[in-house]
Amino acid sequence: MTALLDVQALCKYYTHKSIWRRQRKVTALAPVSFTLERGETLAIMGETSSGKSTLAKLIAGAENPSSGQLFLNGQPLQRGNFRQRCQHIRMVFQDSDASLNPQLTIGQQLAEPLLFNTDMNTEQRREAIAQVLKKVGLLPEHASFYPHMLATGQQQRVSIARAVMLDPQIIVADEALAALDPSVRSQIINLLMDLQKDMGISYIFVSHSPEIVKHVADKILILHRGKMIEFGATQTLFEQPQQQYTKLLLQVPAAANN
Amino acid sequence: MNMLDIRNLTIEMDTSNGPVKILDKVNLQVGEGEIHTLVGESGSGKSLLAKAILGFINPRWRVTADRLWWNNRDLLNMDAALRRQITGRDMAMIFQNPNSYLDPNSTVGEQLREAIPKGDLRGTFIRKMVDKRTRVVRLLHRVGVKDHDQVIDSYPFELSVGVAQKVSIAMAIAHRPKLLIADEPTTAMEPSTRQQIYRLLTRLSITQGMSMLMITQDVASVMPDSDNVTLLYCGQLMEAGNKQAVFDQPQHPYTEAMLRMSLRDTDAVEPKTHLPTLPGAIPTLQHLPIGCRLGPRCPNAQKDCVMVPKVTRLKQQSYHCHHPLAPNKRRKSAS
Ligand SMILES: Nc1ncnc2c1ncn2[C@@H]1O[C@H](COP(=O)(O)OP(=O)(O)O)[C@@H](O)[C@H]1O
Ligand code: SF4
Ligand SMILES: [Mg+2]
Repeated sequence: MTALLDVQALCKYYTHKSIWRRQRKVTALAPVSFTLERGETLAIMGETSSGKSTLAKLIAGAENPSSGQLFLNGQPLQRGNFRQRCQHIRMVFQDSDASLNPQLTIGQQLAEPLLFNTDMNTEQRREAIAQVLKKVGLLPEHASFYPHMLATGQQQRVSIARAVMLDPQIIVADEALAALDPSVRSQIINLLMDLQKDMGISYIFVSHSPEIVKHVADKILILHRGKMIEFGATQTLFEQPQQQYTKLLLQVPAAANN
Repeated sequence: MNMLDIRNLTIEMDTSNGPVKILDKVNLQVGEGEIHTLVGESGSGKSLLAKAILGFINPRWRVTADRLWWNNRDLLNMDAALRRQITGRDMAMIFQNPNSYLDPNSTVGEQLREAIPKGDLRGTFIRKMVDKRTRVVRLLHRVGVKDHDQVIDSYPFELSVGVAQKVSIAMAIAHRPKLLIADEPTTAMEPSTRQQIYRLLTRLSITQGMSMLMITQDVASVMPDSDNVTLLYCGQLMEAGNKQAVFDQPQHPYTEAMLRMSLRDTDAVEPKTHLPTLPGAIPTLQHLPIGCRLGPRCPNAQKDCVMVPKVTRLKQQSYHCHHPLAPNKRRKSAS
């Protein structure tokens, strides 16, 4: 059996130009390899600027790797083939505010992926949009709203609606849950888990919340200064972390009221 | 003594469906040196309440209150210029995204020098310049920035979120305000940075005797040192009072739901099963339920909830609800 996603020695360097010194090569991500199965959830954790978002973007195709390869169902993912990648791997960004177009209604933004990737007619698209809005806890009438008319949490729901719209195989979410309202966050997590059960979607979550990771993830990948320093099953890492760094990251902060 | 004293504050705006109360008879008292936290999901009116205190309310909206007092002075029926002068002198605010508040085109040092009140400096021009520099450094130390030389010469986008937030706090406290309003200052920050900001704010409230109005959307991010809390939903007061009392013995179904949803205790739920939540969505302004606005999402709702509930006062807390939690349920959620 081939894995759903096979990541092989994926890495990313940036070169910083400097007048005084020679060009400096900065390693955003040292070569990383791992596999993800259908229906599995992987959490990527690490401090700020440890390379989490870089890895997420490389997988989603939002950035090109310096070297390394990605295989989806055994097929290599081509660099330029956005359409192939867009349908199967969708990304939800941290900043829903910036990823939504302020000029378009929610309905128009949700229609875009359908226009490019399906043969639906106007009526079918409207129905699909109403359905997906309900799925993420919004109302069909939100389709006529502009992003600025929605609260932050509701904007994030729209981003998630846009991601699930095309029934992707993998959803990559970069801190998409952190800023959500508690009831929305629980609902979205429940929704994502239901979708996973029903359709076998796999998730890659970048998260710094040990509580959420413990609840949703099957595997955890720990990044430290651009290097993968630990990778394993969620329970194993919570119970027997090999690194002190991992232990600190997975520590559940003391509750506010005790 | 109450520095801030707000009674029955109502803000009404006109929508296509007629007038809507976006804040509906809200009360808030904050004492000197007190840390008070407003908790509520988005659209509950937390930011609006903060803006009402600062006087930044759309002039087309109708603001009424039995009392909107700051330091025993009536802000609502005061000359606008005088009000601006008082709030500008006594209050400051920080936001979730520090970069929305800092100027991207000038260095941290330039912005901090600007923020230092002119009246604080004396002597010759040179003396003032040197003085300013010392004050900027002192200000940065006060917010826990140690490598001041590097930070002073940086532009805001070159800083990490944590340091940028510290700089925005430094700007806010430069004129020594008596009230600091912090609108979700740590949302989306990683836990260790969040802890740093909490410690900093707590220390400032103690050392400067500053009152603080913290705003959060999640009970899990209420600062450990917060004295009192007020829970809002859709512009209405749900429950308020001493933090410990409210969290240990919530009376209101919304408080209890917020505590269960806070993920403080994921051990209690089997992994990958459904997390506790409130059904439905936060209503839009055009579709606010009548009476208690939690109604359609409330597990305890009954027919009489179409009437806005009156306040019930207990020793350390008060709540607005027709059907508060049964005593055994209270004890359960307190454990
Ligand atoms: N400029 C505005 N125009 C129209 N409605 C607004 C505006 N600002 C706030 N509101 C509405 O007022 C309510 C409270 O908003 P807000 O105070 O921002 O909530 P919170 O800060 O608790 O998320 C929301 O329903 C919001 O949509
Ligand atoms: S008044 Fe009714 S709807 Fe409102 S919180 Fe109480 S029981 Fe629920
Ligand atoms: Mg707000």
